[in-house]
Amino acid sequence: MNVSTLAVAVLLASAPTRIDTIQATDLQGKPVTIQTSGKITAVLIVSTNCPVSNDYNERMKALYRDYSGRGVSFVFLNANANEPAAEVARHAQAAGFTFPVFKDLNNAEADRFHAEFTPHVFIVGRDSQVIYRGAIDDSRSAARIGKNHLRDALDAAMAGKALPAAETKAFGCTIKRVGKSS
Amino acid sequence: MKRLLTLLALAAACAYGADLKPVDETGYARLVAASKGKVLLVNFWATYCVPCRKEMPQLVALGARYKAQGLEFVTLSADEPEQKKDAAAFLDKMKVAAPVYIKQARDDDKFIGGIDPKWSGALPATFLYDRKGKKARSFFGEVPLAELEAAIKKLL
Repeated sequence: MNVSTLAVAVLLASAPTRIDTIQATDLQGKPVTIQTSGKITAVLIVSTNCPVSNDYNERMKALYRDYSGRGVSFVFLNANANEPAAEVARHAQAAGFTFPVFKDLNNAEADRFHAEFTPHVFIVGRDSQVIYRGAIDDSRSAARIGKNHLRDALDAAMAGKALPAAETKAFGCTIKRVGKSS
Repeated sequence: MKRLLTLLALAAACAYGADLKPVDETGYARLVAASKGKVLLVNFWATYCVPCRKEMPQLVALGARYKAQGLEFVTLSADEPEQKKDAAAFLDKMKVAAPVYIKQARDDDKFIGGIDPKWSGALPATFLYDRKGKKARSFFGEVPLAELEAAIKKLL
């Protein structure tokens, strides 16, 4: 079993069920702590360079626009070791992001969530349980979306209903973790 | 001479003019079944995947090295149709011989899970099938070339 296989096996073996706080740094390097208790938190792992993640920029803006006002807390994290804070700031400005993006230094939160891709999304419920992990939707191309996984999951979570799926297959670029060159 | 050069250029274009054929769930099963009698090496890649692009030359070389002994090397792009042209250009640049494929699954979860339930869909991913069409090895992430080569030699 090679290292990558082992990493994937470990990732799948013990996905977290509870996340009480998310630790990150803002793009000026200041530490931030986000509590998850008592609210629905959508965590999106994103990238500046990944074409797949970038194809979702407009959809992420729409998600934030549509759900942040309805009580959903959004946490956008950049966990890529090869994308420094200054680059994340430039990218956020160029993409017209209306939400902050935080750096996940040493991919600590990505590890904790067992995130693999950009984009890779998670929903933490009001009781701090991770209730959804997977993709934003089922197509990189906005023109071919069949299932709006994240929207459907958020709608269900907000209504206190069972989620259509607790997990979907995420896809995109692999997270460039610390100590890995590619 | 000019005509000869034109013919040579056309021949090169025919050899490498990557025409990515769409493959769905059943198409993949057919692809594997059609390779029975050969050892089949399938590499899943995408234009946006840096490690995929990085390892492709080595895989192409490996495919060529063992072709005469019965290895069939197949690439399957996980790109969207919008990136098909870029994928074809990359395969041409890498001199990847036809046939080349592009994933067009009706259900990604089923497609990925059908190939290997342990595969998350992360790229690159490489699968090795024996001459009977049975999956012998799965490699997730950049493939360790020496390990892959040893596995190929064992199956040939």
